[in-house]
Amino acid sequence: MRLGFVVKPLVRPELRSHDGRRWQNRPHLSVSLAFLRDVFEYLSSAGITMYRLSSELAPYGTHPDLPQFHDQLAQSLPELAEIGRLARQMSLRLSIHPAQHVVLNAPEFVLAARSRADLTQQAALLDAMGLGPEAVVVIHLGGVYGDRDAARQRFVEGYYALPEIVRRRLVLENDDGRFGVADALWVQACTRVPVVFDNLHHRLNNPNGLPVREALSACLASWPAGVRPKIHFSTPRTEWLVEQRAGENGPWVRRTRWTYHADYVNPFEFIDFMHGAEGLPDFDVMLEVRAKDLALRQLERDLARYAPELAARLEPAVPGAPGDCDVEEAESSGEGHLRAEIPS
Amino acid sequence: MMELDNETLDTGGEAPVLVVVVNSQEDLARARDQGWYRIPVGRAPPRIAAEFLAFYLTGAFPEQDRWAVKWVAPVSGYRVMTRLELLPHEADHPRAGERYYRVSLGPLRALKCPIPSRRLRRITFISTTLARLAEAEEINDLWLKSTAQERLWAALKQADADAERQYPLREDLPQHPADFALFGDGARVAVFVSDEPASPEGLRESQAVDYLLASELWTAVWVTCAELAADPQGWAAKLVELAGSPDLHQRNG
Repeated sequence: MRLGFVVKPLVRPELRSHDGRRWQNRPHLSVSLAFLRDVFEYLSSAGITMYRLSSELAPYGTHPDLPQFHDQLAQSLPELAEIGRLARQMSLRLSIHPAQHVVLNAPEFVLAARSRADLTQQAALLDAMGLGPEAVVVIHLGGVYGDRDAARQRFVEGYYALPEIVRRRLVLENDDGRFGVADALWVQACTRVPVVFDNLHHRLNNPNGLPVREALSACLASWPAGVRPKIHFSTPRTEWLVEQRAGENGPWVRRTRWTYHADYVNPFEFIDFMHGAEGLPDFDVMLEVRAKDLALRQLERDLARYAPELAARLEPAVPGAPGDCDVEEAESSGEGHLRAEIPS
Repeated sequence: MMELDNETLDTGGEAPVLVVVVNSQEDLARARDQGWYRIPVGRAPPRIAAEFLAFYLTGAFPEQDRWAVKWVAPVSGYRVMTRLELLPHEADHPRAGERYYRVSLGPLRALKCPIPSRRLRRITFISTTLARLAEAEEINDLWLKSTAQERLWAALKQADADAERQYPLREDLPQHPADFALFGDGARVAVFVSDEPASPEGLRESQAVDYLLASELWTAVWVTCAELAADPQGWAAKLVELAGSPDLHQRNG
């Protein structure tokens, strides 16, 4: 079982996930790949073998008003091959989760077409890196637009309108409010698209009352033979959210929403979840939590301490729990910028 | 490409900068006239990516230019190419088939204030920011390390210590520099900052390093980030005192 984190390393906050310069400053995919190479160096030294790429690797790569950015992929083929070689050398499992504006089932022609263009570029990036079928592009089903059945059907049609290079890498994730596991499995039955099980989304959005193990099992079974499935895991943020509003005397406590991700993974929930998955096929776990790689390292330590039988399944093996403090770790080996980088 | 004027240099903030070494007039001319710099893929440092490159000129340059960072240029792209593709007129070079990152550059711009090395030292690569580049008074101000190390450096500067950061103690081991080196009348002190208290294995390793350094008249000091962060001024004073004490060898302060 591999554990992964999403895009921005917090232990090494000075590392960038992509070239984030504005278009006027001519950002480029090749610069993003250089940033990515530095992130890979860190992942290698930290023994992390699963990572979600930024969806903005090719800046403005499909922007309709900025055609000067559309050739970046073709201009960077040797560099993409090199970064892919590094990933394979490290047995690094990569994935991409396109931005919110990618909605394959959008009824508006323009939005759907842009979504197809974005997905095509993301899949082409993974192809150019020479990555195997475990490197996937993860999307949600999309919007309901007042008619669930029509929306699901439109996704299926949108799927078949995609080029083969995208269909080969596309996987579908249950979301937290619109389309749950049952919907994703309905689409899977029509298209064979694998389903990524998201545990928190399933707890938030399970109108069919599918038991967790049953839902997980069905999602895992949707993956093709020879490709290890992946899931998303997070626990909800339970802290109260206090904000100071302009012109008000005292602070406001915002009403909480369980869709907010916690900073760390609740290790006991994770352990229970994994015990509940005993006997199912092996899978990798992408941690969708705010503390990212800090949380990943903490979970490794927690498993070593509280569930050594699960820690023994981690790839690569974790050499015991040193019991040090994460923030100190970030401050010392992370070059001391942690406070500036904590996500809001 | 980012417009690199004085305002950008002053306000570029956290934009990442890679300080690179220029060993020859030809390499600087290539950066200036042809807009590129090369880094060998096989010997690249852990960080190569940046929005700007700054150029540290070595002893190969005239006296008024050398041992200082004087130039900076925006980065527009990275390519992986062989040396032969980069320098086709050097086809017989033994590393002609070796792969390099070719860093494409915009126009070079002179820094308002060059950043000198006080000890005319060798460096490898330094990852820093545009803000640091604008503020640095000397090379040692460029390194971005842990808060604890930054505080110790500030304290050493305040104490007017003759000190260097990331100092290579042995020419043959440039990848294992001391985090700080102090040059006193009595002793040369090499300070190694670690994340955690030394394990028995680490202790054996540090003892071996101590022995090696002692034979070359260095006194080694090992300190953890936590110890340093607790009292940077105290540590600065202790280290300065140590550097002033002849023939004193001490562990853990």
